[in-house]
Amino acid sequence: MKLNRRDILKAGLSGLSMTAGTALRVGVFGRAAAALAAEAESNGKILVILELSGGNDGLNTLVPYADDAYYKHRPKIGLPKKSLRPIDDHFGFNRGMVGFERLYKDGKLAIVHGCGYENPSFSHFSSMAYWHTAAPNSGEQYGWVGRLADTIAPEAPPNFIVNIDTHQSLAVRSRRHVPVVFDDPNKFSRESFFDENAVFKANPDNGKVSNPAREFLLDTARSAKSASALVQEAWSKYHSPVDYGIVGLDLPKVAALIEAGMPTRLYYTAYSNNAFDTHVFQNDVHQRLLTYASDSVSAFMKDLKRIGRDNDVIVMAFSEFGRRVPENVSLGTDHGAANLMFVAGNQVKGGHYGQIPSLAKLDEGDNLLHTTDFRRVYATMIAGWLGHTDTRELLNGDFQPFDMFQRKA
Amino acid sequence: MRRMDSLAAILAFAVAIAISPAPLLAQTAGPAAWQNDLTPIGAKDWNRDFAAHLLERAGFGGTPAEIDALAKMTPQQAIARIVRYEGTDVSHMPAFDESGIRDPGLEPFPPSRPAVTDMAKKNGEALGIKVKPTGNRRLQPIVDEFFYWLRASVLETNRVAYWWANRMLTSPRPLQEKMALFWHGHYAANEPKVRDYRKLLAELMLYENHGTGNFRDLMVSMAQDPGMLTFLDAGVNVKGAPNENFAREIMEMFTMGVGNYTEKDIREAARAFTGWNYVDLKFVVNKDQHDDGVKTFLGKTGNFDGVQIIDIIMQQPVTADYIAGKLYRFFVRDNLSPELQKKLGAVLRDHHYEIEPLLEAMFLSRDFYSAASVGTHIKSPVELAISTYKKLGLENVPGEPDFNAATSALGQRLFSPPTVAGWAGGNSWITPGLLLERGNFARDVLFPDINFIAPDRVAASEEVRRVADRIRQGMDITAATIPDTKTGEMAESNMSADRDEDFNTRYGSFRGSQLALERVKPIPRDTAQLHLAKMVLAENPQNTTQVVDYLIRRFMRVPPSDDVRHELVTFLDHELGTSDISQAKTYLEEPLRLLLHLIMSQPEYQLS
Repeated sequence: MKLNRRDILKAGLSGLSMTAGTALRVGVFGRAAAALAAEAESNGKILVILELSGGNDGLNTLVPYADDAYYKHRPKIGLPKKSLRPIDDHFGFNRGMVGFERLYKDGKLAIVHGCGYENPSFSHFSSMAYWHTAAPNSGEQYGWVGRLADTIAPEAPPNFIVNIDTHQSLAVRSRRHVPVVFDDPNKFSRESFFDENAVFKANPDNGKVSNPAREFLLDTARSAKSASALVQEAWSKYHSPVDYGIVGLDLPKVAALIEAGMPTRLYYTAYSNNAFDTHVFQNDVHQRLLTYASDSVSAFMKDLKRIGRDNDVIVMAFSEFGRRVPENVSLGTDHGAANLMFVAGNQVKGGHYGQIPSLAKLDEGDNLLHTTDFRRVYATMIAGWLGHTDTRELLNGDFQPFDMFQRKA
Repeated sequence: MRRMDSLAAILAFAVAIAISPAPLLAQTAGPAAWQNDLTPIGAKDWNRDFAAHLLERAGFGGTPAEIDALAKMTPQQAIARIVRYEGTDVSHMPAFDESGIRDPGLEPFPPSRPAVTDMAKKNGEALGIKVKPTGNRRLQPIVDEFFYWLRASVLETNRVAYWWANRMLTSPRPLQEKMALFWHGHYAANEPKVRDYRKLLAELMLYENHGTGNFRDLMVSMAQDPGMLTFLDAGVNVKGAPNENFAREIMEMFTMGVGNYTEKDIREAARAFTGWNYVDLKFVVNKDQHDDGVKTFLGKTGNFDGVQIIDIIMQQPVTADYIAGKLYRFFVRDNLSPELQKKLGAVLRDHHYEIEPLLEAMFLSRDFYSAASVGTHIKSPVELAISTYKKLGLENVPGEPDFNAATSALGQRLFSPPTVAGWAGGNSWITPGLLLERGNFARDVLFPDINFIAPDRVAASEEVRRVADRIRQGMDITAATIPDTKTGEMAESNMSADRDEDFNTRYGSFRGSQLALERVKPIPRDTAQLHLAKMVLAENPQNTTQVVDYLIRRFMRVPPSDDVRHELVTFLDHELGTSDISQAKTYLEEPLRLLLHLIMSQPEYQLS
């Protein structure tokens, strides 16, 4: 890689003025230093985020079977105790969730109750944007994962954030990092003919770029060049005996990258396309969705153990909102408010966190009142897990982390 | 060898400099002062690049001949030709060729496999098929039929998409197809939820026939459209227990945008839409399920029904702003100032929600030709594919690569928008993975895959393929449908998939696919007929630099950097063994294909 005068000049400028693209153009020496700094800042731990899009029905995920109010609100779709997988004298998991039941009983699953925010939005897109940016009812344009990366790795070493999906999530949108976004690792490659390789490998000077769309494309092209070979190699070497179930989500791909030693610290994956938006006839389909998610997360934990990285990785699962407490007439549920979050991992202290929201005292739209600001859970990830204790600026407020991990980070 | 190469490169570089010191590759754009200026562009400012820009945005790009034709007109004439297309004859374009796959008895189609078998157990029949009186798997024919329709509808929808893609490529009214694509992304019904190609085809025809007409009328038609009613669960919205999904999305996604109404407005509107339903392809209002009580909606009170609710929505100034802004983002650029959005909204309001005058104002405006607009749009996958074919001079969409598989891999499958918000567009079309995939698409067009397998002629999943193989080996249904397991523990979903003995889901899935394969017409699988050597030689180029520049001009709206341009010239010199085209005339085709693959793989090729 050669540096030109412009790159060197830019690299000399303060970090604040650097765009994502220029950060990548810093060059080899800058990169090594950046990697070291990131290593120190992020203590080597890896955070995997799993988004359950569409608004997962938390009440039928972890059922408060001991609360009569639950059955009063849900005479038709309420799940009877005998069909559940009880974990204590109050709650039982949906019967499809063998994996989560086992993780909980092994003490490796934290359940956080009543997660939400003030003035909840019932729009998928708005609420998801609030969760993505950790900034409800604001116009924040960068994602919280992106800002986290900017904070703990300001030199923006390549491949720090991986987002496995068909499109980039707002959550990973960063001022300095270009997240590696791909869906199918087999297709994450430049399929070129031998004669063309010299042209594809060249690192041309792009001249003066004033068109922002063009600049974005050039930055993305550089990221693609640096990441695709690593991802492909990782995926081709990955042969896991672990059964992730019918859907598997994208967690096997995360496992492959971790096994291959990818320098990524932040992984973002999603059960996408509003899958959990269960307005009608929800019980069969909801159970199936939960089974897929639970299979996949518990398999991922087994796979991490096989790889020998089970103490370095956790998974945090969330949804943009819970669902309306009373069922609707279509044997489904409409958009709601507060909801459960889950954190799974070998270093997680399993159990219940946060105050269980009341089923008797709902808001005027029959929704659960939130008891835990979801940013407390984000703060727990940032401070408790990744070891960056000053979360105030990042999350625009004081959010007390939970004491959720076995070893102090 | 390497030394020779670099020597040749240096020589070629020198020749390039000598022959074309200042290649005019960048497209013309208007001055910065034109940004946000809705004044019509003057006739003296009109040029060929602007005509090309108009075709890119109002259609799917142009061939040199199409661009020349518009360039010769005044801007008013060119834009009227594009926007007021009713007079342009399209009678030669064929209607959709139905396979004829619909069986009587499929309506009403149950929401899930468990719902079908529950219905069959309860009624002794379902989907027009009776339960067998005795024996094993008495419900199997019903389950087979269920899966038949699921697969047949998917395959027929793919054929509708092909038909539409061909219209995009060949219609003399490109804006009609572009508007249909806009409305499809706006209303965003998808096949996986609607599960009936007929409803999706009916929606497409609505967009085709009324796409530049009156938005209020289109909104009413869509609110009463069976595909939309299925998509948003309106059929289960009944008096006493309204389902809010339909009312919420009408306001949030289709008309006003979030933040312009309250949760209470949504609940009241949902009441007004109660009882709206469909029977097969026909809209009906179930009077006994309709709540005709008094509602208070957006400050107005009355016994509103759904149409009145839509009319109240249309009275909100924000509705015109929202729609005008969305059209602007689709056709012009992502960033528009609130002031400009208000101005555009006013144009739409002044014309009582007629879309055509707004489009005409947008395409005529200096803003549309300003530097902020020209060459700053990232092509959607469908735009990329169609404009690629158009610039290659093709007269039909090739069957290989498969149009639906290719655009799907790039993030935009027709009739499958990811959510009710449609496709996000803009930068979201591009990720590192998708950028590489775009280059791979070009490769598949220029060098057809010799191992291509038509996706509509094979099993849709590994599981169906496995069951099919085992059934052909003579296994019984139970043995044939036991899932493959890896070593170690089996995941819960793989153990509980099939436990009912009245039917076998996996067999049904296989058998249904087989029936669909038999009855849905195949998609023709021709490859692109390309003659790049002929195309290039018609321009009489003397040297490789001129060839590279010609292809950049023809295919790209934003040229690559000078460094890349020189890399491309060097590459072509190497492939041809000379920079003199007169010596290389007889073996130009393959080197040109490689060169064009490199051009189409450039980040700048994604821009229009």
